[in-house]
Amino acid sequence: MAAVETERIGRVCAAICLLSVCSLCRGHTQDRQVSTRDRQVLIELNPGSPSPPPGDLLHARAVGDNDTLHFLFCSQGAPTLLLVHTNTSFSTVKVNWTQFNNRTHSGGLTVEPESSILYSTAVVFNRLLEYDDVNDTADPTSDLFPPYDLQDFRWSRLNLSGLTALLCGNTAASSNGSLCLQLSLFETEGRGQHWPRLLHTANSSQLRVWLDGVLPRATRSRFLLELQSVGGASPLSRVEVHRSIDDEFTPSIFKVSQWTSALNNSSDVLGFVQWKPVAYRQADPALEDAAPCRHSEPRPQSGEAVAAVSGLIRAFYKEPEATGLNVSFGLAGDPFYNSTKFLSWTLLVGVGSPPVDSFSPLVIGMMAVGLGTPMILLLLGGICVCTRKRAVATAYEPIN
Amino acid sequence: MADYDERQSLLGDESDGREADRGPGRPMPAICDPSHLLHRVVVLVFMCFLGFGSYFCYDNPAALQTQVIRDLNLNTKEFMQLYAWYSWPNVVLCFFGGFMIDRVFGIRLGTIIFSLFVCVGQVIFATGAWWNKFWLMEVGRFVFGIGGESLAVAQNTYAVNWFKGKELNLVFGLQLSMARLGSTVNMNIMGSVYSQVADLVGSPGHTALGASLMIAAVTCLFSLICALVLGFLDKRAEKILHKEEGKTGEVVKLTDVKDFPLPLWLIFIICVGYYVAIFPFIGLGQVFFIEKFNFSPAQARAVNSIVYIISAPASPVLGFMVDKTGRNVIWVIIAVVTTLCAHMMLAFTFWNPWIAMSLLGLSYSLLACALWPMVAFVVPEHQLGTAYGFMQSIQNLGLALIAMAAGAILDSRGYLLLEVFFCACVCIALMAVVTLYFVDYLRDDDDDDEGTHILLGFRASSLHCSPQSYQTTATGQDCTTDSAQCCHLWLFPPELTHYVPIGTLTNDTSQFGLHSTSSTSHTDFIFSDIRH
Repeated sequence: MAAVETERIGRVCAAICLLSVCSLCRGHTQDRQVSTRDRQVLIELNPGSPSPPPGDLLHARAVGDNDTLHFLFCSQGAPTLLLVHTNTSFSTVKVNWTQFNNRTHSGGLTVEPESSILYSTAVVFNRLLEYDDVNDTADPTSDLFPPYDLQDFRWSRLNLSGLTALLCGNTAASSNGSLCLQLSLFETEGRGQHWPRLLHTANSSQLRVWLDGVLPRATRSRFLLELQSVGGASPLSRVEVHRSIDDEFTPSIFKVSQWTSALNNSSDVLGFVQWKPVAYRQADPALEDAAPCRHSEPRPQSGEAVAAVSGLIRAFYKEPEATGLNVSFGLAGDPFYNSTKFLSWTLLVGVGSPPVDSFSPLVIGMMAVGLGTPMILLLLGGICVCTRKRAVATAYEPIN
Repeated sequence: MADYDERQSLLGDESDGREADRGPGRPMPAICDPSHLLHRVVVLVFMCFLGFGSYFCYDNPAALQTQVIRDLNLNTKEFMQLYAWYSWPNVVLCFFGGFMIDRVFGIRLGTIIFSLFVCVGQVIFATGAWWNKFWLMEVGRFVFGIGGESLAVAQNTYAVNWFKGKELNLVFGLQLSMARLGSTVNMNIMGSVYSQVADLVGSPGHTALGASLMIAAVTCLFSLICALVLGFLDKRAEKILHKEEGKTGEVVKLTDVKDFPLPLWLIFIICVGYYVAIFPFIGLGQVFFIEKFNFSPAQARAVNSIVYIISAPASPVLGFMVDKTGRNVIWVIIAVVTTLCAHMMLAFTFWNPWIAMSLLGLSYSLLACALWPMVAFVVPEHQLGTAYGFMQSIQNLGLALIAMAAGAILDSRGYLLLEVFFCACVCIALMAVVTLYFVDYLRDDDDDDEGTHILLGFRASSLHCSPQSYQTTATGQDCTTDSAQCCHLWLFPPELTHYVPIGTLTNDTSQFGLHSTSSTSHTDFIFSDIRH
């Protein structure tokens, strides 16, 4: 009787274990096109420029075994990040500075050899919009103030330290407060230090955007950031929102948004912008400082308009195709920007497939120990019972 | 029968048969007659509502979690302090609750004093919120905690005093249901109370929060009124029926702790490991459902309260089932495994949380019905008070510590790790219950005539047991049991000259024993309850 019960309990435990192990099995999506191995990153500022240009250009070469990723970050006009993926580790970037600074014709920036370019994508930070949320509905279509055009900001020089570059700027009107962008490049796989602690590979770069001290124009104002993605043949076209059960690294956020580009009807992802839909209201945030974000659907934009706004796009692309979306920070009921006058948001831009999060060893270890120990105890107990088979002696005889 | 008078009963008072001798001198309307059922039903109503306020206000923080955190600028760890401070005084008080009611205050005054603590504590809590002083809120919860758990002891003592026999289980079940009703009502209406108060006050903020908590304190005032009325009715009944003031009958001797057997320590571990995965989880549940499953706040509160809603009707039914089948350890295993499955579902899947929470509600009720009576099987009667007091004391200690730990884990690592942590706690309980199963199974192989361990029994099929009171033929021992269980028989061969005590009669009458040391005949059947 007891043995049957033991067996039944054992089977139940095995089923639970199997269930949990199966749900723990999450593999990295195999990236067939871009190798996920480490890279060597070399950074240069304003390569070949005789004098400091009006807007700094950062060029980073992330060299792999047989391919290179060129990261170009420029503050001429609207801040732009351009990624170019080539199939050789010897490709270089050539800048014609007069043409580049002129911003009238394309061709100011070329990647040589041109035939080695596999894929290129760019992200342009175009505008910062502000609206007055009188009724606390977080509906950005009404009461929009005149937007801040980021191309009109006064940008500082690019501040390099290690593999990160910091760019800060403020509006021409007031010098109070600033909008900063921090670009981080990676040589190997890892995870960000600060929330949202995005998982990155060597094929991606992390951009952290934050508003610090910018004076809002109303007490109940909220912000939106407009992003545009530019690509030659296939710009980023659709945003997928994945639900994930793992919020270890970004507490209380169970979604990941990915803005991907793919060839027509193909499942191979060529490039991506990935973010967690959360912004933080403090520089060193706690759980309560999280402000969920929403994004709008990507819509096609005029490539010519984007090229006019960003010097880097004008220089590199002949006929750019662009899509754009808005990311709005804060939902109904959340505190307004005025409460802390700080807002930070992080995104990951890269080529290939976006990185997929998995459980940390702590979670797996705890579940393994937690589920395994009772089963071991069951096993040991069952062995004890079997080896101690004795007839139960009783002093009393049962009645019939 | 000659030995009729010798029987003992923990219930303290004589059976109904005696009351007729001491009935009211003059005829009274039925509702005023303390011995009449109608009057006792009125008393029952007041007894049930006695605990309503305390359970209503216990889970106020959980129902208003977002508002408390936002209006007072707390993080989750500080929020969980509100629960920890409720549990801290009960670490010590659980030992002294029975003592204070029996020796110091008496049941009537004791109930009123504890109700007063509950009321005053909630008012201090609300005032602290009104003035935006978090330390004052913690003080309020501390005072509230002093009264809350001891009030439950007083409520049980009233029940035992007024209701005997098979009514007692029903009364306990009703009291538990009323308590759960209080929690459920709290979960579902406090949110809308807050929004309406916020509209009245102008804007949400700590003032609105304080006002909502003051409104919640009205229920505590209501409980205080019930306590006063009960005291009056009890005093009146004492005068009319000339019966004594009720006693808890608990004797607590701390030195008994060193005599506790291994199964009891395992039961303690199960208790702590299990309950710390339930109450702190419900405390943090609302925001979990909002964030992970995209529920609206009202839906999240509703699913959070489903545990209580289910346990209200399920507890009596499951209690009956556990009583009928015996084998408490197996039921505890089932309850623990089900809870583990529910937590894993909430942690690792996006399945509809209604399923997991319903499972949690059922298994929580099952465990309560199966675990607490096990203590009575494992310790002799004179240690029972100490054992229960110790069990509640470490339960409260575990709750206080784990509440704070849960808040800290959530703040730093998020909900998945919190759920994994709760799974780990339930796994500890699972380890303990598996060990308990084998320890108990292996101990049965040994001969034991001490009667202080759980016995595997066998059923005598040729005799029919009835749940009513019954007598043996020769010894005149009266065994009363008021749970609907079947009794098993032992036949004692004639060569024995004395009865071997098997167990002890307890309030929940899960087992009973013999007190006679002599007998005139040996061909009689000794009724006892054997169960696993």
